[in-house]
Amino acid sequence: MSGLTRRELLAGATVYGGAALLALHWPRAAAAAKESATPLVLSAHEWRTLDAVAARIVPSDDGSPGGREAGCVNFIDKALAHEDAATRPSYTTGLRGLDVVAKRRHDRTFVELDEEKQDAILAALQDGQADGWPGDAGPSPDFFETLRSHTLIGFLADPKYGGNRDFVGWKHVGYPGPSHARGGYTADQMLGKAPIRAVWDEEI
Amino acid sequence: MAVRETFDVCVIGTGAGGGVMLQELTRAGFSVVALERGPQLEASQFMSDDELAFVIRDQVFSPDQIETWRPDEATPAVRGHYNMIAHCVGGSITHWAAWSWRFRPDEFKVLSSDGPLAGASLADWPVDYAELEPWYQRAEWELGVSGSAGANPFEGPRKKGYPNPAHPPRATTSHVRRIAGKLGYTAFPVPMAINSRPYEGRPRCMYGGACQQYGCPIHAKATTFSIHVPRALATGRLDLRPNARATEIRLGEDGRARSVRYLDGDGKEHEVRARRIVVSAGTLGTPHLLLMSKSGAFPQGLANSSGQVGRHLTFHHFAAVHFTVEGETRAFTGLEAQAAIDDLHPSDPKRGFIRGGVVADANALMKQPLAWALQGLGGQGRGWGADFKRRLRDFPRTVPLAAILEDLPMESNRVDLDPDVVDDQGLPAPRITHRQHRNDVAMNRWFTARMLEMADAAGAREKWESISPLTVAEEGAAMPGSVHLHGTSRMGDDPTTSVVDRWCRSHDVPNLWIVDCGVFPTSGGYNPTLTLLAMAYRAADRMIGEAKRQNA
Repeated sequence: MSGLTRRELLAGATVYGGAALLALHWPRAAAAAKESATPLVLSAHEWRTLDAVAARIVPSDDGSPGGREAGCVNFIDKALAHEDAATRPSYTTGLRGLDVVAKRRHDRTFVELDEEKQDAILAALQDGQADGWPGDAGPSPDFFETLRSHTLIGFLADPKYGGNRDFVGWKHVGYPGPSHARGGYTADQMLGKAPIRAVWDEEI
Repeated sequence: MAVRETFDVCVIGTGAGGGVMLQELTRAGFSVVALERGPQLEASQFMSDDELAFVIRDQVFSPDQIETWRPDEATPAVRGHYNMIAHCVGGSITHWAAWSWRFRPDEFKVLSSDGPLAGASLADWPVDYAELEPWYQRAEWELGVSGSAGANPFEGPRKKGYPNPAHPPRATTSHVRRIAGKLGYTAFPVPMAINSRPYEGRPRCMYGGACQQYGCPIHAKATTFSIHVPRALATGRLDLRPNARATEIRLGEDGRARSVRYLDGDGKEHEVRARRIVVSAGTLGTPHLLLMSKSGAFPQGLANSSGQVGRHLTFHHFAAVHFTVEGETRAFTGLEAQAAIDDLHPSDPKRGFIRGGVVADANALMKQPLAWALQGLGGQGRGWGADFKRRLRDFPRTVPLAAILEDLPMESNRVDLDPDVVDDQGLPAPRITHRQHRNDVAMNRWFTARMLEMADAAGAREKWESISPLTVAEEGAAMPGSVHLHGTSRMGDDPTTSVVDRWCRSHDVPNLWIVDCGVFPTSGGYNPTLTLLAMAYRAADRMIGEAKRQNA
């Protein structure tokens, strides 16, 4: 389509219109995800695989919490059970594809690999260069973008959706939480002259 | 189907255009029925500014919106949810950011001042700034716009200042001022239809930073949801019907529009009769409805003898540069935009393109962390891993700059009915065919380069482009949707090249009006809503005056 691939659309502007995360089909809200660490739709192996992926998308090598500590896999599991149920089949084929690629390269499943090898496989998916990627799983960059967006959303969405555990995502970026219910901000807070009390009851 | 009563007016859509019509017509004594596709929401629902629900999943304002898009007629259309439209009582102005500009005088006369240009369907508006000036004033005072009159040196002459003073600055404002000082530009407060002090029963803004794509829980943001629809209801002459999706405007044997068929929330069909019909269903919804309303007299859709319904769709195009500085910028507080620079806006063909737009510290791509991670940081690096995680931390130290840019109309850019895709009510999806004119591409690149220079002038540590140039700044670029939609029911004096006349009235059907941004022949380089509001007040005044003369 005129040189504009799906991945590039994904990189386009959501907030200014267009694109709107095409890889994630958003049906009507089904139910609010409950905070729960119990898998609703993912198999145990899928859960471990996604958890490993989330730990590479937002790593914790720097000593601060990342995608694993935030519970991104739990967010994705709840989203696939409810609002993003339509995306569930692409996870089944995509996560299977991830293991096919891992086994072809290293004769092991994705979770059994060290982080460096995992990173290389994820980069290959992102670049559409993953040897062995199954034809029934759609373009690998699309699936990677689904993984990347879902993980970032799990890291930074309201904790009520099952990720961003203990507000680790908001603490990381320095966002104090939704503002309307807290009454907004003062003139000094807008200027950075006064601290802001975050929803987790600390000043930032 | 029983059609029990006949109203003076049926208004389809309750947004900026329809909402003003409801207020003005009911106050003038008309009996009015309003058909609104979406539900009646309550302000208390807007106490939530949950980014996942409101922005990413769009669960509140248009959960069941379906559109298809293709860059050209040769390419199959792809189903998606591309445009930010609110289906609710109050329409899309309910979730606007409230930037409230008057178009400059030359923005109404693009063909005369800059045209013609190959591939673009440039046109002059049949109205000019002087004609609209009093209606701009009316809109500013009804909405309580906060601003600093005369601060924008490029604005047309105004007879009266703003009703409310400009808002207090946020930390990003000083960076815009520094840029202006270094580069010889003028920085000034963005005029905003948000209360900087209590005004007409609505409170002062609380500066929560989350306006665009959210509702205002305290009615500090001026909207038809907060102002015009309640006032129309208070007259006792408005029959407001939410969850009423118009499907067809029916024509009488006398060639006048006679009734409107609609589906209620349970999918049951109704018909309502009115002496006058105002279509304010939006730039997508209005052509969609007209094209579904086929008859013997109008085989290609109602009010479409010109074949122009749905054509000349314009979206604006946006350029964004973000940069980091020392110290906190607090871009997630305050209003969406606080400070603007308009020096790059006036048209200058020597730049390699015509027209332009306004630049401001708009927080749209970073008012909250999901927009920041998915958009504000753009495609920086690989978008994941340790480096990306480090960059996420720049959220409190980043200044956003965005340009709202005039896109040129093209006859081939349009909305029609998708022959293959239907929505959950069984109606054809609106199909968008859209790609950028080469002038848009050149303009977007140029503005991006200027904003990168602005970042340097502000002493940026790191700077980057936050909108993929692929969607707007490369050959063949195309946008599937926007926050600003205009042009599908073009206004003009010539019935063979336009859909409505200078009073928003159909050339073909004498008792049919179109009052939404669809009537804009060109898009201007500013947010469109204040201009639509001014046009709506003017159209209502004309309609009421004519009716009074007929009855006298």
